[in-house]
Amino acid sequence: MLLREVDYARPATVEEAVSLLAAHEGARALAGGQTLVNVMKARAAAPDVLVDLVDLAELRTIGFSSDGLLEIGAMVTYTQLVGSSEVEVARPILAEVAATIADVQVRNRGTVGGNVCVSDPTNHLPPLLVVLDASFTIRGSGGERVVPADEFFVGVYMTAVGEGELLTKISVPPASDTGDGFSGVTIGKHGTYVVDAAATVSGEGARIAIGCVAATPVRATEMEERLAGGDFSEDAVREAAKGLGASLDPPSDVHGSADYRRSLAETSAVRAVLQAVERRKR
Amino acid sequence: MSTTTTTTPTVTEQQSTPTLEKGYIGQSIPRREDKRLVQGLGTFFDDMRRHGMGYVHFVRSPYGHAKIVSIDVSKALELDGVYGTITGDEVAIHTEPFFEMSVEPGANIKDYALAVGRVRHTGEPVAAVCAATRELARDAADLVEVEYDPLPVLVDAEESLKDETVLHDDAGSNVVWSGVFDWGDIDQALADADHVVKIERLHFHRFSSTPLECAGALVEYDKGTAEWTLHCNHQMPGVGAIWMAPALRTGIDKLRFVTQDIGGGFGNKICLHPQYVVLCLLARKLGRPVQWTEWRTDQHTANAHGNERTFLDIEVGVMADGTMTGFKVRALDDCGAFPRYEPLGCIIWAQVTPGLYGWRNIRVDFTQVCTNKSPVSPNRGYSRMQHLWLTERIADIVATELGIDPVEFRKKNYVKTEQMPYETPNGCVYDSGDYAAALDIALDLIDSGSIEDRRKEAAARGKLLGFGIGSTLDSGTNNFGQSTLLNPDLQFSGNNEAASVKLDIFGEVVVTLGTVPQGQGHETTAAQVVADILGCSPEQVNVRRGHDTWFNSHAGFSGTYASQFAFTGLGAVKGAAELVRAEMVQLAAAVLQAPEEAIELADGFARIKDGPEEAALPFMALGAIVNANNAFLPPDFNPTLNHRYVCRPYFGMVDTEKKTGQLTLTYATQIHAAVVEIDPETGVVDVVDYAAVDDCGIRINPQIVEGQVHGATTHALGAALSEEFVYDEEGTLLTSNFYDYHVPHALDMPPLKTGSMESPSPVAPLGAKGMGEGGGGGIHCVCAAIQDALGAAGKAIVYTSCNPPHRVWSMLQDPEATRANVSVVSK
Amino acid sequence: MGTPAPARSRAISLEVNGEAVEYEVPARRLLVHFIRDDLGLTGTHVGCDTGNCGACTVHVDGVSVKSCMLLAVQADGTRIATVEGLAADGELTALQRSFNEHHALQCGYCTPGMLMSATALLEQNPHPNEDEVRVALQGNICRCTGYVNIVEAVVAVGEGTS
Repeated sequence: MLLREVDYARPATVEEAVSLLAAHEGARALAGGQTLVNVMKARAAAPDVLVDLVDLAELRTIGFSSDGLLEIGAMVTYTQLVGSSEVEVARPILAEVAATIADVQVRNRGTVGGNVCVSDPTNHLPPLLVVLDASFTIRGSGGERVVPADEFFVGVYMTAVGEGELLTKISVPPASDTGDGFSGVTIGKHGTYVVDAAATVSGEGARIAIGCVAATPVRATEMEERLAGGDFSEDAVREAAKGLGASLDPPSDVHGSADYRRSLAETSAVRAVLQAVERRKR
Repeated sequence: MSTTTTTTPTVTEQQSTPTLEKGYIGQSIPRREDKRLVQGLGTFFDDMRRHGMGYVHFVRSPYGHAKIVSIDVSKALELDGVYGTITGDEVAIHTEPFFEMSVEPGANIKDYALAVGRVRHTGEPVAAVCAATRELARDAADLVEVEYDPLPVLVDAEESLKDETVLHDDAGSNVVWSGVFDWGDIDQALADADHVVKIERLHFHRFSSTPLECAGALVEYDKGTAEWTLHCNHQMPGVGAIWMAPALRTGIDKLRFVTQDIGGGFGNKICLHPQYVVLCLLARKLGRPVQWTEWRTDQHTANAHGNERTFLDIEVGVMADGTMTGFKVRALDDCGAFPRYEPLGCIIWAQVTPGLYGWRNIRVDFTQVCTNKSPVSPNRGYSRMQHLWLTERIADIVATELGIDPVEFRKKNYVKTEQMPYETPNGCVYDSGDYAAALDIALDLIDSGSIEDRRKEAAARGKLLGFGIGSTLDSGTNNFGQSTLLNPDLQFSGNNEAASVKLDIFGEVVVTLGTVPQGQGHETTAAQVVADILGCSPEQVNVRRGHDTWFNSHAGFSGTYASQFAFTGLGAVKGAAELVRAEMVQLAAAVLQAPEEAIELADGFARIKDGPEEAALPFMALGAIVNANNAFLPPDFNPTLNHRYVCRPYFGMVDTEKKTGQLTLTYATQIHAAVVEIDPETGVVDVVDYAAVDDCGIRINPQIVEGQVHGATTHALGAALSEEFVYDEEGTLLTSNFYDYHVPHALDMPPLKTGSMESPSPVAPLGAKGMGEGGGGGIHCVCAAIQDALGAAGKAIVYTSCNPPHRVWSMLQDPEATRANVSVVSK
Repeated sequence: MGTPAPARSRAISLEVNGEAVEYEVPARRLLVHFIRDDLGLTGTHVGCDTGNCGACTVHVDGVSVKSCMLLAVQADGTRIATVEGLAADGELTALQRSFNEHHALQCGYCTPGMLMSATALLEQNPHPNEDEVRVALQGNICRCTGYVNIVEAVVAVGEGTS
């Protein structure tokens, strides 16, 4: 509950933030703090310097790029996501999933950028952003680069954001002839996921990702291939999911054995795809 | 919209002895405590500050079991702002080990305030640091260097029983206590039975009520008088002092316990004496006030768990008509690393030996062992809940295996209302109740007639629907003499509680309690009782907040625990108020020159019944005469208007040979019913309908009673579906926070329907039975409902009290693994 | 102006229950400890150490947050409201009265956090239904009441029946 000593800085611009992160070894960006402050309380993490992004208004916006991508600033909170008309128009699944993250108070502070940069395997957004084919804009002292979702998540608590870099925004293609779904089992209602699955279905087939079964979201590639034919009947989806569990190597812990998670992965994938199919019809 | 339906109270015809007309008693008047609490103006121990106060942080063991090779505090002491440290070696020099209640081998266990030489569970305090701020104390604790030499770890009671590794060398065995309780003739009963149902193993899991306020205290030491003051949240200071004073080599009068508001207790704040002794030593050593606030992770890891119990080799005798005649069982209780309040749990269950059933032949072979887990403490429904769960599991398993409807089976086997008061095979007396009628109310609330239709409808949605009943007793008012059934040398028996009532100079009615409330609304209910006796409104009665062993009336068993406030707590209040009342009447008669019989106390006046308006004295006049204007009173008339009363319930002595006696006095009844839906693909259980019916006799304040029912039900639902302290093989607790130890929040809770009956207690002073613990009804009925639901998918037997999704899923995958535990031998 | 240098403490100025407050706080101090220990506003409680229980809920710039998941320095420049500010004029709010009438508290330890969460809900949605109340209070753990009467108390305020 009590943190180690830490230095604190509050930059006024993204440039300042990046230079602070680059200048101090062991510096961490502080977004909403809903994970970082918690792990610092447990002294499980003890950065030397916190670079608070609170004043960077440019990271708090939701809008569209010139080529029509939904752009979500890294400091956008879950509550903002839930109430955003842009999100509702372009990709409502983001709001729907965000509305089930933790609780109201955490949603008021927790940010999209924090959620993905923490890259906790049980976080909601990583598998979802993988199936939505999101891209991540990262600013460093050398400039900006864009990383696709499949490459963004590197490991537990590790992402493509390197030392001295800052995630600034996440870009998501808007829905077009697509339906999105999300399903899984949580510890209590709206709790931490034991296993979750995100799916998006379009004329071209399905993209499916499973969370909580490995360090990073796992694409259900075989299942996707089996669904490439476009038969999204319940029987076909269930058939396609067979073997997905066996292909995974999930952890065992107090909330479920590896076998339970394998089974949940198949069930969740089926439910997410069927939900996506249903929504695509609308 | 209200989620609560209250049925019209049904008052049974039971004879009772309440001596009061219902006035304020029986009314749901809003609580007096609330005004300060809703403004954030309550005072909890952590809200208090003292000049020069130091903050204490404990250095805790990362090992489940290890020798302490060395402790080096020098780096911690070098840190600026650190006031001092204390280690186990110092504790061993300055204190005695705590008093143990068991006979040998448990009696030989040495339990000190800090680990001495060895740690026996993860999180066990090995040293403490005191510093100027919370943060510094924590920093300094990180600088204490402890070298450990790991030892083999025991996290399984059956392994402990083998004594291959022994936790306490002084005891020479992991067994704390063992003994056989044998009432009736179970061997004959099993031989005579038409069916014998055998269950190899059932397991009641580890959890606790996890009060939202963690433990702690602010301790001051007065060097001049060698007295300690503990501003704390101990819920049973009377017993806390019995442990602490001898350990500190001082008299009990040197320890002053003060409580104000307490953020929940549920039994989990009874065993705080080890930490408190460390604080006392630090306050004396450092010459300054010290305070310790436990963190949540520490509470989960190392404070107070409920007793974990494994039931083995169960055999139940059943006649052809479905009557159960008896059962036998081996019970193996796991009390964690130190007994502390144990082995009392080895006998407390016997208050409800046959549960609600008419079994006359029962043998329980009971053993309690230590393991490398957190010590246990009483936990809402202490020890009875585990045993009641066993009786309810037996009822459901027997009914299912013999193909009898569980409702009819229960009604057939319940003790009947005509049998009340009912003496159990071990000499306890169930004072009143009508279990079958309470069950009918629950069945109505849940519309049990529609279950089969709902089952079909759920099946069409791919869900497994199940319906279950949990019937429990909440036994209240402990006879501490039951401890002598464990250890005949113990000098405890009976029970008592004190209260004082006075009329002050301006007519204020002031009440102090021996009890130590933690949310039960004692300030309100005591005011209701006093108002009725003195003839005033509850607003005129000032019931002092909290408890202070120096200024409150106080007795040896003072505290708030074991569902007894309604009996002993309010019994004492009633007694003291009646003494004051008698003097007020006497005084008014003298002043008004009227016979005492003509005086009535009403509306805040002592007046002549049907007399002229001026023949009335306001309370202020009475208070002023006695306290400030008394010269005219005759020399032989000396009213004080200030009385203490000790309520000492009568139990008689227990029979230590036969292990029988009145172990408790009142038995409130709870019948719970649940409807669950299981998602067979994920094992997720949804409670979709729920009813709790409570009969605790006369309800002083029905709204408060209902609140207790809600709370007890919620604890039970949490325990049944998610709350579990799970250890790995190294003895590390895997559920040390509210992420992994999931307690129900507002979205998790099903709609709760409540119903009530009033079967007054013929033995309690106000006809009101102790209540609030609830006996775990929610655990029993959810287990029953899950088992009912699984009937359509392999007929698994629910064998453990906690059934989170992964466990239900496992039962669906391999129902035979659970069914192998159960067999029926029929003639 | 150059890039600000990281520092171990920070002078913060903020508004707490309508009053201006200036303080030099260590960077590592949690907002809840600043509120309780430095400002002496002990109505805000600590019930866990992992941000689950919500007993420490306060409003920062009108939005409910858990003050154990924020550093005091993060609150620099904000407006904070704690439970002590609800009945600042001595008059209980409708919600506080409703909690009393519906027996929505027992030990009272979670109550300040519950009230702050429910107050935030009622400001945004003056007539919430039961489901909306449950969602709004999900981040506040109560170990005494089973939430039944708490939910009723909040709904009743919206219905004007309390």
